Amino acid sequence: METGIKIIEGSCKGCVNCIKSCPTEALRVVDGKVRILSDLCIDCGECLRSCREKALALDEDDWDLIRSHGPATLMADPTFCAQFSHYWTPGLVRKALASLGIKDLFDETARAFDLAAFATARQIEEASKESLPLISIYCPAVVRLIQVRFPELLHRLVETETPLETGTLLWRKETGSDEGVILVTPCSAKVMLVRGPVGREKSTMGHVVSVKRLARDLLAAGPKVDGAALDPVGSRWLAWALRGGESRHIKAFSKKNITTMAVSGLRNTIDLLQDLELGRLKGVDFVECRVCDLGCIGGIGNAESRFLSELRLSRQPIEWVATEREKADLADLYETGIWKLEQPIQPRPRPSLADTLDEAMKKLKTMQAVYAELPHIDCGACGRPSCRALAEDVVRGEGEITDCVFKLRERISVLGEEITALSGKLPHAFHERKHAK
Amino acid sequence: MDSHYEVEFTVRGDDFLAAGEASNQIKETLIMLGVPSAISRRASVITYEAEMNLVIHSGGGTLRAVITPEKLTIQATDRGPGIPDLHLAMREGFSTAPDRVREMGFGAGMGLPNIKRNSDNLEIESEVGKGTTLTATILFHEGPGDRR
Repeated sequence: METGIKIIEGSCKGCVNCIKSCPTEALRVVDGKVRILSDLCIDCGECLRSCREKALALDEDDWDLIRSHGPATLMADPTFCAQFSHYWTPGLVRKALASLGIKDLFDETARAFDLAAFATARQIEEASKESLPLISIYCPAVVRLIQVRFPELLHRLVETETPLETGTLLWRKETGSDEGVILVTPCSAKVMLVRGPVGREKSTMGHVVSVKRLARDLLAAGPKVDGAALDPVGSRWLAWALRGGESRHIKAFSKKNITTMAVSGLRNTIDLLQDLELGRLKGVDFVECRVCDLGCIGGIGNAESRFLSELRLSRQPIEWVATEREKADLADLYETGIWKLEQPIQPRPRPSLADTLDEAMKKLKTMQAVYAELPHIDCGACGRPSCRALAEDVVRGEGEITDCVFKLRERISVLGEEITALSGKLPHAFHERKHAK
Repeated sequence: MDSHYEVEFTVRGDDFLAAGEASNQIKETLIMLGVPSAISRRASVITYEAEMNLVIHSGGGTLRAVITPEKLTIQATDRGPGIPDLHLAMREGFSTAPDRVREMGFGAGMGLPNIKRNSDNLEIESEVGKGTTLTATILFHEGPGDRR
């Protein structure tokens, strides 16, 4: 399985900073280089933040290479419009991009986000009381986290496709174009929308480039853009870059008064999902989780400080009430089902220790025995994030107990004592010869 | 075959910060063993509610999970005050939790009914002044060992 993260082997020093940061314990250091266990990886990007050597990066495509092939069409994440102090509305960003010969899909994007909010509002209204709250699918890392660690919550995920994909589909439907579209991503999780989407066979977007990479080009060129005669571009979609924006959008399109909850940050997300799993969120209709601080603007692939992005977004004039024309358009699009996920989202449980319960119980007992012998200080020197993880790797046949430096030292010390004892046992004949001299 | 796996945790009374840890670890154990998620979900609810009962009412006790190829048994034992009227305690919404506990969002009177709903068999032995032993069983109907 693929991940949204690339390892730059030459830069990896084999330190163990990253393995500790991983919320699903998906990293190991083997032979002095970091490895990702892709079964467990949720693409959250925490390891990128913890790496001082820049040995981990977004697995993005080469923007210069894409540019050299001619004109480019972008499906930009909402965070892209919060990166620049000069181009602070989608209309201004559009003009700046156009001056570099780059085409945006802002209008389709705005419609697709409206449609996603509209469709999700309908799902909440139609859901039975027991199946609430529903959970947002917008953050792909949250979807993967649920697949890996909270499979019991999968049935609560909304059936709405990410509007970044739907926007591209809308554009293709209207123009009939099969030109390549490049997703501009703020994080490693959204890289996977193109590389290995969940809930559909294949993405209709061909490439993926980080917000940071594109913003750098735009800032370097620094095109002068005047604010006159701007296209009116909808702005509700921009709110999704911040925690709570999706919920606000859904509320605006909901016929009923609904209760939503929005959290950001990995720890908060895990805590909230745990509460949800234990049935403690009664009375909540919709849950929006983002693994990055403050929401998508906190993604590792952005150029701008998340705090400045937040400030800029808070100053965006957003008209939450849709016009009659927009409403009619949405109702029509809703009927087409273009907003729907193609496939149900499947669990991705961590493989059990063995194929049969009997065998697994034996291995688990061995694992506990191995664990009991380890020092329990989770130093990471064995290349695993914790002593528990080493014990598990040992019973899975993916490591040795002597990978632990403390166990190794113990064995060497035992061996040393044996050598000393042995060296004292000189052959009798040798003693005699010594005396003779 | 008499193979089984057992885990036991000591749960301290009134320790609301640590509450949920024992149930979390039992869930992790079930996942490692490859127990189907529908069963581990029910087990999570039972262990969590039983653990909360130990924390809120009993002044502490032990939580034990025993897994055999046929079934999962969860047992909570304490030497707390005991339950005077079991029939009443099983009723949804009935609670004897003090206000300070309710203020934290616990003690809504759903604990025992939730445990009952999620187990295939539930036995509670309780004596006022002596303590309570709760034993909840989940049967592995198809046998998780034959899953693959």
